[in-house]
Amino acid sequence: MFESADILNFIKALRDYGRYDFSNYSEKSFTRRVEKIMMDYKLDIPQLISKIKTDRNFMEQVVRDITVNTTELFRDPQVWHAIKYRILPRLASKREINIWHAGCSTGLEVYSMIILLNEMGMLHRCHIYATDLNTDVLKTAQKGVYSYRSISEYLENFNKVLCENPYNFDEHLVVTYEKYFEFNKIKDIFKVKEEFLNIATFQKHDLVNDPNPFDVSYDIILCRNVLIYFNNTLQNKLFLDFWKYLDTYGSLVLGIHESIIGPTSAKYEKRGLIYNKKVF
Amino acid sequence: MYIVIGGSAGSFQAVTALLASIPRNYPHTIFLCLHRLKNVRGGFVEALSLKSNIPICEPYDKDTAMPGVAYLAPANYHMYIDANNQFSLSTEEPINHSRPSIDVTFCSIANTYKENAIGILLSGANKDGALGLKAIKDAGGTVIVQSPDECQVKTMTSAAIKITEVDYIMLTNNIIDYLKNL
Repeated sequence: MFESADILNFIKALRDYGRYDFSNYSEKSFTRRVEKIMMDYKLDIPQLISKIKTDRNFMEQVVRDITVNTTELFRDPQVWHAIKYRILPRLASKREINIWHAGCSTGLEVYSMIILLNEMGMLHRCHIYATDLNTDVLKTAQKGVYSYRSISEYLENFNKVLCENPYNFDEHLVVTYEKYFEFNKIKDIFKVKEEFLNIATFQKHDLVNDPNPFDVSYDIILCRNVLIYFNNTLQNKLFLDFWKYLDTYGSLVLGIHESIIGPTSAKYEKRGLIYNKKVF
Repeated sequence: MYIVIGGSAGSFQAVTALLASIPRNYPHTIFLCLHRLKNVRGGFVEALSLKSNIPICEPYDKDTAMPGVAYLAPANYHMYIDANNQFSLSTEEPINHSRPSIDVTFCSIANTYKENAIGILLSGANKDGALGLKAIKDAGGTVIVQSPDECQVKTMTSAAIKITEVDYIMLTNNIIDYLKNL
């Protein structure tokens, strides 16, 4: 264990030597990440800091280690139903649709979106942007290759989202995942088919420090289970940033246990699981 | 006081009994971290609420914990409690194959509430919770373990007793009396 002064010194080192700002992260979950890094490298805080100061590659690795990289295929089907039946129909007449996955991790949410858009016949009109702070996960996302074991349990969600309509129980479509993925159980590989790769633009982006990474306004921003690692102050800054980057009546999709509280909440209108930009 | 209850396989009965015995307007705050099947994401709050006199809810990230409410760690998230009684959720990798992990919630309660924390560990089939219970004890809090004889699955409580000098080993009924008189 260590003192809170140690954590502040660690944060300062990453700011001074890497220009990363972790000062507004949620206290306990950040502390746990740091403890894990200390255990993995068998270094105490002063040793970690001195290595951060002298070894740039190590510093970048530590930043990647701090980030949490959970993503699932069609995580929380009810959210995808809201996207499918509440957001996308509203955009049906738009010639160009911009979608940003902020904090996309290894890209499973991005491919979920591509699949859904393809099924709805909207994919050719969409620009899909995806960013993350961690360049390792972006490489995985671009390749679209995953472990079969890790993914097989989410295929149930695939069926729920693509085949069922919770608003109309009579409707039942048949979409098989072989249409989108190639897999090899023995080699434990689950791969996005070639024709669905290279559709999204993946790019490194730091939500805390960087401006809008693409020169567009978004119809949908998905930022799910990313802001939970930030404190209220930083969350509110980002809710304001997203509000600026959203197109008129654009939608913000958060994780199912996230909400907008604080001064920026007045800038959004909550409809079910979705936050819509209010325009004054 | 801040009461945190952890349980896994075989704990549902004890948890519902504890919640049923806690009176309306209870002056303490209750946190629940229970393992459940990954696919059973909904309906759990409703099931626990049936016999409970106090409200039970799954908190949103950055919600503030209030006395007289029981907060259940949401499925597929770890639940931390930061300073100012504020929840922080996380989707870090499962710990002991569990998300939510009892160790994560217990350690964070230990760190935030120190001697004002009461940790209760119930029946369960893995070791998650043992380290967390020790953390509460080490931080000056009170720790209670359901009597392993009463547990449907003893792994969790036995693991905790092995590494921590627990304050009480009690049957569910005695835990109920303890909580009522708090």
